Amino acid sequence: MKKVDSLPALSDVAHLSISIGRILMECGASARLIHDEVFAAARGLGCDSAEVYCQHAAIIVTLRRGEEFCVQMGKVGEHSVNLRRSEAISDIVRRIAHDKLECAAGQIELDEVYQRISSYPVWLVCLCTGLACSAFGRLLGADWPSFLPILIGAAIGQWIRQSLIARELNIFITSGIVSFVSALLAGSGSRLFGGSHLAIATASAVLLLVPGIAVLNTQMDAIEGKPNLAAARGLRVIYLLVFITLGLVTAQSLILPGV
Amino acid sequence: MSDFWIHLLNQALFGGIAAAGFGILFNCPPRMIVQCFASGALALAIRTAGQATALNLPEASFLAALIVAAVERTLQYFQSTRGSILAVTGCIPMIPGSIAANGLMNLLALLSARPGDEVLAATNGMKNLLTVAFTLTAMGTALAIPRLIAPIKTQYETS
Repeated sequence: MKKVDSLPALSDVAHLSISIGRILMECGASARLIHDEVFAAARGLGCDSAEVYCQHAAIIVTLRRGEEFCVQMGKVGEHSVNLRRSEAISDIVRRIAHDKLECAAGQIELDEVYQRISSYPVWLVCLCTGLACSAFGRLLGADWPSFLPILIGAAIGQWIRQSLIARELNIFITSGIVSFVSALLAGSGSRLFGGSHLAIATASAVLLLVPGIAVLNTQMDAIEGKPNLAAARGLRVIYLLVFITLGLVTAQSLILPGV
Repeated sequence: MSDFWIHLLNQALFGGIAAAGFGILFNCPPRMIVQCFASGALALAIRTAGQATALNLPEASFLAALIVAAVERTLQYFQSTRGSILAVTGCIPMIPGSIAANGLMNLLALLSARPGDEVLAATNGMKNLLTVAFTLTAMGTALAIPRLIAPIKTQYETS
């Protein structure tokens, strides 16, 4: 245990804990991982106990150190998935827990993590997303003439999604627009190339929008005793699926006869 | 080579590609992209083999997710990251997104169904959505089991 006079103020530790939890949640971590990381950081900075209450849009942290205690709440932004960023947070926590990083320096690193952690180039992300959707198409039984149209439709859809998210458009509206455009391009292209599985092609091109990590986090949060967060995540997944389906159905009604 | 093995290889290959593609989308560290491919390929291979032995989709998905999560949990001792990045990314290709969309489309079709067709549309919709619900529940449970049996020890618990 550290000497008491070398410990940072409890409010600073709480602020650091909130930052850790917020960024992890925005990067798609489960509630259990968030609790573990906050607990490890708080203990590394001399706290006797740390409790974290994760909601979809906020995190509450309660820290105790001797006779002192501190409760802080922080807002959480839009949820996405960024594994490199969450790994960077885990690395910061590990160094704090091993006494290799002070609270203030850790806070600075956390504040800079959005700028510091690199991402893949946009063209590569779009290309790989398109490739993943084409692979989904093959898994679902789409024929080879549909492969390239699905790739192009999904890649353009991903580019539109990133552009609209950067403009902070509502996530559900974005999903509906991207679903419609991707399905329309994939279906039209498949028809042009002589594909015979237009329904599969249109459905495969929108699979980039299915919130897979959120779905799995919903399950794991429910199983690991976080029903409130699981319910919020689940409701959001259902709404996303509804908007994806609306975009898909609209595109299919233009491409497929009898839909 | 028999049709089964060709089908299994096809599923594993494209499952791996899908998992690697989503690994890039999720900004996975570059050194883990190959592992994401392997994880997705393993998951789809196990699911395909399971379905070939008369398991239904939720059962086969449960088996695949459990094995991938167990392998990932074992390997985690040698990795620097915590959490379950590999298992989750590997299971992404098994999420029945198209069945969920089909289920919702069947329910939407109820609005314009002719008399006599409502029962068929409702039955198809419910069947698809139930398959999705059971499959997701099975996968989520399977992913959680290895960590519940062998929890990750924090820095303070290990020292």
